[in-house]
Amino acid sequence: MPGTDQTVRGNPRAAIPPPVPGHTADALPPRPGAAATRSVSAHHRGPWVAWGLLTPAGLVMLAVTVAPIAFLVYASFTDYDQRSLFTGAFDVVGTRQYTDLLSQAEFWDALTRTVVFTAAMVAGSIAVGMGVAQLLTRLGSAMRMTVTVVLILAWAMPTVASSLVWKWLFQPGYGVVNWMLTQTGLFGDMTNTDWSNSAPLAYLSIWLLIVWQAVPFIALTLYAALSQMPAEVQEAARLDGAGEWRVWWSITLPFLRPTLTLVTLMSVIWDFNVFNQIWLVSAGGPDSATTTLGVFAYRTAFVAFRVGQGAALSVITTVMLLAVTALYIRRLLRSGEDL
Amino acid sequence: MLRTRGARSTATRGRLLSNSLAVVFCLVWLFPVYWMVNTALKPRSEAMTATPHFWPASPTLHNFDVALNHTGFWTNLGNSLLVVGATVIVAVVLGMFAAAAVSRFRFRGRRTVMVAILVAQMLPGTALLIPTFLVFNEAGLLGTYTGLVLAYLALALPFSIWVMRGFFAAIPVEIEEAARIDGASTWQMLWKILFPLVLPGVVASSIFAFIAAWNDYLIAYTFMKDRGQYTLPVWLASFTNPASGTDYSAQMAGSVIFSLPVVVFFLLIQRKLVSGMSAGAVKG
Repeated sequence: MPGTDQTVRGNPRAAIPPPVPGHTADALPPRPGAAATRSVSAHHRGPWVAWGLLTPAGLVMLAVTVAPIAFLVYASFTDYDQRSLFTGAFDVVGTRQYTDLLSQAEFWDALTRTVVFTAAMVAGSIAVGMGVAQLLTRLGSAMRMTVTVVLILAWAMPTVASSLVWKWLFQPGYGVVNWMLTQTGLFGDMTNTDWSNSAPLAYLSIWLLIVWQAVPFIALTLYAALSQMPAEVQEAARLDGAGEWRVWWSITLPFLRPTLTLVTLMSVIWDFNVFNQIWLVSAGGPDSATTTLGVFAYRTAFVAFRVGQGAALSVITTVMLLAVTALYIRRLLRSGEDL
Repeated sequence: MLRTRGARSTATRGRLLSNSLAVVFCLVWLFPVYWMVNTALKPRSEAMTATPHFWPASPTLHNFDVALNHTGFWTNLGNSLLVVGATVIVAVVLGMFAAAAVSRFRFRGRRTVMVAILVAQMLPGTALLIPTFLVFNEAGLLGTYTGLVLAYLALALPFSIWVMRGFFAAIPVEIEEAARIDGASTWQMLWKILFPLVLPGVVASSIFAFIAAWNDYLIAYTFMKDRGQYTLPVWLASFTNPASGTDYSAQMAGSVIFSLPVVVFFLLIQRKLVSGMSAGAVKG
């Protein structure tokens, strides 16, 4: 069937850079993004059919995305609270929610936490993911298949299930991780260590959980890009006497850069938004030590029911993420993707 | 001769090193999944021992029985299937139309539409959650399945358009031209030629939409306040017994049951995962 294998290359998010022209391009099916040939037949039709086809999806998106976002921005300028939920009454208070937030130490703490934690998660998953991708290129097919299946199992776990498994792994008393750490004898008796009750340990366990589930996507994407790399260039460099490290730094890395950039930007967006794992593993605690912006917004809006302020928080978060998204879309276009 | 042998033994050592690294990696990465299954197969008394049992001494399926009979499992499973099913159908049908529009037609504003779809997918969860909650509260949609489906469409629809767009774009333009020469109208072209050809795309995006909706915890947890209305992720997360503490064995059995369909789907669409997931099917 058409569209099975091509999608891997055709999908923009696969972010596989176009192969070196003239080398593998001939062996590939015509690039699906080949707009020039497509428009030949496409320009016969009026735009009306296209807009007609777009209308149902457009209406739904208008109702479930555009309108809510508009309302979010509006709500962030009001004093919407618990009472408003029942009476529907609230007042426009201008930028008070924003000025309130910006003067709260809690907000700045949450922001710092989110940025630092996101950086740590992205760095960890990219580093391990890159290592695994390189490892995959050096394995025989049976071993590679095994690693792939293991990656997919970790990836496939729904976050609710993986968070519960994590709590059990790190459970004080009977958690297997505490038992293993105690066996190593390095940290003394850790049997009853409560990971969710200490800020650094809570971070560490959530970090491990996120990295565990983020590595598969990154490793497989980078591996897909690596397998498009012409082997000749590397071999030529080796013949010229370049060491493995040099080959990686001067040839492999530049080749991977477009994919790496896209994967990094995507990871930043995803990790910035991590919610379930934090909520289920530590609930933002102990003492809001793991309260990131998302958790903070949720608590403000749905636990304290200061909805207006929660909305302002979400607007701030969204604006920050839009900057990253803009960067992402620019990179996507630059990597030769035809939107 | 000597050099060849030296080179070969370096290669063998390299292979050995790679394979050992791969084995270590597999052991570490598989461990949480293994521990979930291992715990699910042990009686509760055996799951809580001072020295953990790395293999069930007396394997049992009793925990699965406990999980399936845990408060509301079948009701909540039914809710999940209803909501997820409706989401998949609407997202895939509307997504197919929209994908045909953006990938087989050239029109003014097409790029804007594509960028809007991309942006829609990157929005943080709470950014949509808060206003949707407020609007649904006004509209009386809170705590209704319709509301939940609408909220899930915000996740699944842009994503379905992305996935199917790749499939449409891969259809050679010659097929369309041949059909046009034979006198096919635009309508016939869509229904007789293009739509049947993207059937694999329909399957792929159905699976992605299923996973996105099936896995959602946050929205269902916030919108549904009544136990009878919960979906499975909320059921699983609230799987504790205040009287006797958490029954980890049964909870792990519940986790296995809940994860199983997703794992099966992941393995089925393995090859399309990298392209598809990267479009944001599974968000944190």
